[in-house]
Amino acid sequence: MIETTARERRTKSQKAEIVAPRQGLRLPRPIRRLRRNAPMYAVQGLSALSTRLRELTGREVIDVGKVMEVVQFIYQQRELARRGPHYAVDDFGFDPQWTESFLTAFKVLYRDYWRVETTGVEHVPSSGRALLVANHAGVLPWDGTMIKTAVFAEHPHPRHVRALVASQFMGMPVMSWFLRRTGQAVGHPDDTRRLLARDELVLVFPEGTRGTGKSFKNRYRLTRFGRGGFVATAIRAQAPIIPVSVVGSEEIYPMLGDLGPVAKLFGLPYFPVTPFWPWLGPLGMIPLPSKWRIQFHPPVDVRELPVHAAEDQHLVMALADEVRDTIQRGIYHNLKLRRGVFL
Amino acid sequence: MTPHRPRRVLITGVSNPLGAEVARRLAPQVPQLFGCDVADPVSALEEMDFVHADTRLSVIGKLVRQLRIDTVVHLAVMVDSPHDERSIHETDVIGTMNVLVGCSGPASPVRRLVVKSSQAIYGAGAHDPSFFTEEMVNWDRPASGITRDPLEMEQLVSEFSLRTEACGVTVLRLGFRVSEDTSLARYLSLPIVPVFAGFDPRLQLLHEDDAAEAIVRAVVDDHQGAFNVAGDGVVLLSQAIDIMGGRSTPVLPPFGRWLSRLGLRALARIELPAYLADMLAFGSVMDCARLAAEFEWKPAYSSRQAMDALAAGKNVELIEAPSPRQEYELQVYLQQRRRRALRLSN
Repeated sequence: MIETTARERRTKSQKAEIVAPRQGLRLPRPIRRLRRNAPMYAVQGLSALSTRLRELTGREVIDVGKVMEVVQFIYQQRELARRGPHYAVDDFGFDPQWTESFLTAFKVLYRDYWRVETTGVEHVPSSGRALLVANHAGVLPWDGTMIKTAVFAEHPHPRHVRALVASQFMGMPVMSWFLRRTGQAVGHPDDTRRLLARDELVLVFPEGTRGTGKSFKNRYRLTRFGRGGFVATAIRAQAPIIPVSVVGSEEIYPMLGDLGPVAKLFGLPYFPVTPFWPWLGPLGMIPLPSKWRIQFHPPVDVRELPVHAAEDQHLVMALADEVRDTIQRGIYHNLKLRRGVFL
Repeated sequence: MTPHRPRRVLITGVSNPLGAEVARRLAPQVPQLFGCDVADPVSALEEMDFVHADTRLSVIGKLVRQLRIDTVVHLAVMVDSPHDERSIHETDVIGTMNVLVGCSGPASPVRRLVVKSSQAIYGAGAHDPSFFTEEMVNWDRPASGITRDPLEMEQLVSEFSLRTEACGVTVLRLGFRVSEDTSLARYLSLPIVPVFAGFDPRLQLLHEDDAAEAIVRAVVDDHQGAFNVAGDGVVLLSQAIDIMGGRSTPVLPPFGRWLSRLGLRALARIELPAYLADMLAFGSVMDCARLAAEFEWKPAYSSRQAMDALAAGKNVELIEAPSPRQEYELQVYLQQRRRRALRLSN
């Protein structure tokens, strides 16, 4: 074989993996170096400015930590774009790396926009399966994203929560893609069983679209909890049920009315009318900055029940009602703790 | 009852590449091998007796009885083919019916029947669970044309297996394959791949080798019932396009998929069957746990590796690396050997 230099290999290789340097006009070396280091200089300058301002005013004017989070987010996105097709998703289409990069964005909503206060996160097991059951409200499922963020950001062992979503959303463009990518599955008993069998944390909203589509005057009143299917699945999978109360999600889109015929036309479960939607167009989709509280309750342990107890409809419905009462009581308790809707 | 050992095996549809591969692998394992098809065989196989026979005619029943066939491998089922809808229906439904009639009856010598089916039987939709197990076929779903055919075909087969206790029936639902000539492979190999806007479905693929191996195992060993056969794991459509070196362009509207199919046919000359269009929007993944448990075997290629294999095949003519001298001589030697073998068989 003829010996070739690295440079020759690079220019002559036909393999797609090795990309030859781009031909054409190249900037002089000092300018290229400056361009490469510009972000670092900017961050350094900003931190110096922040220190100076803190000394001058005695207050934190520029929070460098938050700026660094933004920078980190941009870098993560660039890294993700660079991996090409060389990444793996699980069978459900879940891409943990991509989801984690997005969770940093959701953390900003969690901390600064809705100022979520989370209690009882220690009830979530740090390993093994569990079924989180929560109340569902707000026209769009923001409560699901916030519960996911809460467990990932507040738990000593950050875990990904896999939520079950209504199958209508899986038929919607962008929605279906985003939900699958971030680890959601279809609200089908078979999917729940599979996720629990893999020792995942599964989040389920037994109210479904009845909960998200209820009008503002019925806020914080739980609707029917399906047919207790989630309890039967938990018993079969021997997974503890953890009730979760979410307060604040009802006020993000105060739903005044529902245009049924329009919803039918688009194949949606409901078509909401809020003070801002559809009057302000896309602006009306911005959720209001209400104050949120999330409480994780102690688990309802169904593991001592035998597996065939799942067939006992009476027991299943009784347990479903117990979980529902726990969530309802948690909602009232947290509403009392909240000083005001937006405070 | 002693387990049935296949002695006289008939393969229908032996002239398609999969049938030829199955015949090649079965030849050393069974004493007597017969193959039939309407077209000439693609490769000569010394151990196999080839008969021109059309499964759509009752001649297939006569063949089974005359040759005292004890194992029928029914591969004359078209799922992805350039033929028109009418002839696919004739082959899939009427042809299968004829084969089943040929195998039934009290005097029938047939003890084992292996039928090739497809993942297409499950369809793909937003309301479907993330994984299809063998029981999840929705027999009543609205379907027409090519999408309806696998359903009708399997219904016939299950009726047959209920009626005929003496004959063990194995149905293999093969996953979508990406060898060079399937619609899916041609679609993924486009330089600019039009995809449904806002969808990135999960694809589950099966390598051609694994498909043949699964069929051979079903023939040689006794496994009754329906089995999903597909590679481990999934590949996202965007990943698959990236692997092939194409560029995905979200130009197809997500609703009204027939319009997109029409456009693809006119502009890219790619015939995308309805079930494939649905799959490219919603994805379809099978659970192959039953296969692994019963066959104690699972496909060697994962979905990702099947995709890589297709991409590697595509890149073959691009790489102009001069091979070392020994390798060249080895190639020449192998070619000579192949020619000699061919001359002997002629």
